[in-house]
Amino acid sequence: MVQICCGDRTKMINPIEIRNLYFKYRGSPDYILKGVDLTVSKGEILALVGQSGSGKSTLLNIICGIIPHIRKGQIKGEVKLWGEEVKNFKIPDIAKRVGIVFQDPDTQLFSPTVEDEIAFGPENLMVERKVIEERIKKVLDIVHLEDYRYENPNNLSGGQKQLVAIAAILAMESDILLLDEALAQLDDQGKERIKETILSLKEEDKTIVLVEHDLENLNIADRVLELRDGKLREYKGW
Amino acid sequence: MTRGFKLDPRTKLIVVLCISTLGIVAKDIFDLLIVLTLSILVAKFFKVDIIRSFKKTKRLLYMLAIIAIIQSIFSSEGEAFLSIGNFTVLSTLGLEKGLQFIMRMMIIIFSATIITTSNSREIVQGFVQWGLPYDIAFMVALGIRFLPLLTEEIKDSLTAIQLRGIEINNIPIRERVSVYSYLFTPILAGVLLKAEKLSIAMEVRGFRAYDNRTSYLVLKMSKWDYLIIFISIIFTICYIVFYFH
Repeated sequence: MVQICCGDRTKMINPIEIRNLYFKYRGSPDYILKGVDLTVSKGEILALVGQSGSGKSTLLNIICGIIPHIRKGQIKGEVKLWGEEVKNFKIPDIAKRVGIVFQDPDTQLFSPTVEDEIAFGPENLMVERKVIEERIKKVLDIVHLEDYRYENPNNLSGGQKQLVAIAAILAMESDILLLDEALAQLDDQGKERIKETILSLKEEDKTIVLVEHDLENLNIADRVLELRDGKLREYKGW
Repeated sequence: MTRGFKLDPRTKLIVVLCISTLGIVAKDIFDLLIVLTLSILVAKFFKVDIIRSFKKTKRLLYMLAIIAIIQSIFSSEGEAFLSIGNFTVLSTLGLEKGLQFIMRMMIIIFSATIITTSNSREIVQGFVQWGLPYDIAFMVALGIRFLPLLTEEIKDSLTAIQLRGIEINNIPIRERVSVYSYLFTPILAGVLLKAEKLSIAMEVRGFRAYDNRTSYLVLKMSKWDYLIIFISIIFTICYIVFYFH
């Protein structure tokens, strides 16, 4: 089994490198991505913008291996995480170092309490109980859901559910964080808290890729790229 | 909010097992009535909302009543209670068997509600600490979690149909069946999509990343758990021994 490299080698190699990526979904006549080139460096916050259906979520799904492992299609080009081809890893192996939050919180939550939901990822990654306890406290404080620790996530509002989904990924302390319009359902306060957290993760040298529709959330990004006509280009406003 | 005094889910599972065993072993109506009363009392002890559970299982009870009537029709032994010519529709023995069936099912249903006082994670952990592989225990719990999701999907689709001007309850049965057949495909597609998204959410959070996993939740039996398990098992054994004596 291929291991995602760690240690000194990661200092030299970029966390995400994509070269000449083409992709089309099974049954679709046209390519949605047509020669995407992207390099994201360690500790960088990259924002991706683009019209609906331009392929932003597809690109994130390719980075974290959902495509082609679960969702099938025709893929060409190179997608590398720390210099290793993504297609060579299984999704659970990628999950050890890459966290992704999706748009819809309802399909990301499956545990009976908020606490269990947050603990699920670290438990799978063999984190010790004591450390899990610390992480739960930390992330609940970040998302301001301390009072809901033992609540069923299904009984929370859409915004709160999304915060739980974000907290669950934050607790995994991944090196790469992918946020697919994860701030969309949050109120202004919630957005600000998550943005502050993203900035503090950057200080810890984590790599963050945001897919955003709300231009107000782009102020934390080091770089904003627009996905248009299947290619990435510098964002110059709509 | 803190977690108050709680009994171990394994204790509840053993209690349910004992009551269900009694429900199956007991044969006459009087004994079944005692076991049913016992199961309701135990459920009350575990703070189960009996009325809510009863309302939830109301539809199931109608079905049980129909099955019981059919069973009693086909058990023609005993005194004829209702007959058409020479054919006995309902006999005393048939009625007794029907009642026994209803009571047995009610015992199982009420005792099973005791498990619902623990959440799925606790039940999974209970099985894991009994030696069942986590993957299997978790999949079973996830399957149970999926049932309300299916109900939700059906309700959403029915509401969508009603919002388009179709009064589902006021149309003839034949048209109603055809509306339901239209709903079948989108409901099935929706549920499959949700299942796929849930499995993706689990995998991206490292499910099966390693051969083992740690567990934040660790169940510990208290002296109350041991006492209740002891009483339940001894009571069940004694009841069975005296019953067959």
